[in-house]
Amino acid sequence: MSAGVSASTGRVAARRDAAAGTARRFHRSRVARRGYGWLLIAILTTIVLLFPLYWMAVTSVTPITDLLTLHPPIVPALSHLELSNYSATFRTYPVLSWLANSALITVGTVALSLVVSVPAGYALSRMGAGGATSAGLLMLVTRVIPGTLLLIPFFVMFSTLHLLNTLQGLVLADTTIIVPFAAWLLKGFFDSVPRELEQAALVDGCSQWTAFVRVVVPLASPGIGATAIYAVILGWSDYLFSKTLLIDPTHWTITVGAASLISDLTVNWSGLMAMGVISVVPMIIAFVVLEPFLVSGMAAGSVVG
Amino acid sequence: MVTRPPAGRSVQGRRRRSRNGSADGSRFFYPALLAPAVVLGLFVIGYPLYLIIDASIRDVGLPNMAALNSAPVTGANFTALGSDPLFRQALWVSLLYTLGGTLPAFLLGLGTALLLNRRFPLRRIFRTLTLLPWAVPSVVCSFLFLWIVNASYGVLNYLLLRAHLITQYVPWLASLRWSIVGVIIPTVWKSYPFFTLLILAALQVIPVELYEAAKVDGARAWATFRRITWPGIQNAAYLALVLQLLWTFREFEIIYPITAGGPANTTQTLAIYLYNEVFQFFHMGYASALGVVTVVICVAIVVAMFPLLRRTLWRS
Repeated sequence: MSAGVSASTGRVAARRDAAAGTARRFHRSRVARRGYGWLLIAILTTIVLLFPLYWMAVTSVTPITDLLTLHPPIVPALSHLELSNYSATFRTYPVLSWLANSALITVGTVALSLVVSVPAGYALSRMGAGGATSAGLLMLVTRVIPGTLLLIPFFVMFSTLHLLNTLQGLVLADTTIIVPFAAWLLKGFFDSVPRELEQAALVDGCSQWTAFVRVVVPLASPGIGATAIYAVILGWSDYLFSKTLLIDPTHWTITVGAASLISDLTVNWSGLMAMGVISVVPMIIAFVVLEPFLVSGMAAGSVVG
Repeated sequence: MVTRPPAGRSVQGRRRRSRNGSADGSRFFYPALLAPAVVLGLFVIGYPLYLIIDASIRDVGLPNMAALNSAPVTGANFTALGSDPLFRQALWVSLLYTLGGTLPAFLLGLGTALLLNRRFPLRRIFRTLTLLPWAVPSVVCSFLFLWIVNASYGVLNYLLLRAHLITQYVPWLASLRWSIVGVIIPTVWKSYPFFTLLILAALQVIPVELYEAAKVDGARAWATFRRITWPGIQNAAYLALVLQLLWTFREFEIIYPITAGGPANTTQTLAIYLYNEVFQFFHMGYASALGVVTVVICVAIVVAMFPLLRRTLWRS
């Protein structure tokens, strides 16, 4: 694997210097060793990547007349901004109902998904080779079916079960989409918890269930956290099933409500962006709070190590 | 010490290995844990699949879906695919959209992951910020970019013009040629964090000593990447790639709200075509045939990438 000659220090140093770009030379200086070069790149990258969100926020508070020009104010003067779009949106549409529906569905989806996938992931993990194959297959099977294909069967099944136009029905629908991937993800985490631990618990007199709940689950909590965040994002963002299974506008989720405004507010871009901001802010807050758990969860489980 | 006799078995040998490998006697424990997930899966994935395959071989429209079993069985839906120019167009659009949406997102995700793996102040904040587009609902992405790529007042046109990359405003979503790019942009923006997340997680597992050893040996950046970094992340990268390819291929929520497949079907992927056939034309049988084709193509993608995925998916 060695990529070059490393006989004497002098030759290595010379080679290193010769191969060095600016970055290498930077390492000599104290300032650069703290990584300020990378910080600068990170700042620039983030500005570009997050510009759409910035633009959505700025546009939502800029008067529409300022925007319908050939020179939109990229960085607008603060004195020009106004919040009238937000008050108008809340007045005209049942936005608070929509937000409440989304929140309820999201919480329900996370709860139900975890209740179903955590034991399933554990079972798949402990069932040996058969478990590994079925977990992988199960996960992939749900990734090959287009969502649009499920609409009519779901509609038919849910109306038979009287779950149409209900929040519970949607929780069920979202959960079934999430469970296979979540179970597979959790299997990976449970794989990293040694069996000896629950065997020791069994020797000490625990039942299998108690051993599972008291010993194994706490150890896999980073993975459970990561799965929960995944379920939160999917539950809140869902549009396809919400649109199909929820009929009354008062039962809509925020995503369906926001989409319904696209045709309503064709020229009122500021109003539409205000709706966008309203839809996104709760998710952004949740994400900012939960994201550290997501990353540490993914790394800790060495999901793809 | 409490002894609990295993269900349905004799009391002796509490630690006897049961058939499915569980250490304790009860061999119903693991299947019992698995049962709710399996029930959900069969009920809500298995039954719809059966329904769709059944509908695809029958001559049936939305109004008479209830009488599915009595509808005549026919292969006409599938033969009609062969002579349907819209089908061929949808396949082509799907190809462009899937590759165009996934590969740039992969590169962007890889780049940001490599960046975020470096040490620099406030790195944690930037990690959260970089992953943020993933938290934005697809529908919101779609109309946000509807505004950004707006033909007359969109900020993308404005910035491109100022940077002298274009000479006049491009009607992104109205143009037959560029509409596909107009929907690819939000797709890439929404997808790249998934790559960043998985690749970064794998990067952080690579031992630092390997990099130090390479530096001592005088390895250049590309050699380091090829010999140390890539082998460490390739499992994660391939998995993310397959999952995203499948996701983009089936994607609906970014395209439909803003183009519904237009203009002139230039953004009508297979998934959109399916939707329109169901909800606009009520051709249930034909739409189901399209659905079957979609599933077959997705399975083909998985099979093609199978050798690369084996290690990740089939770990035991």
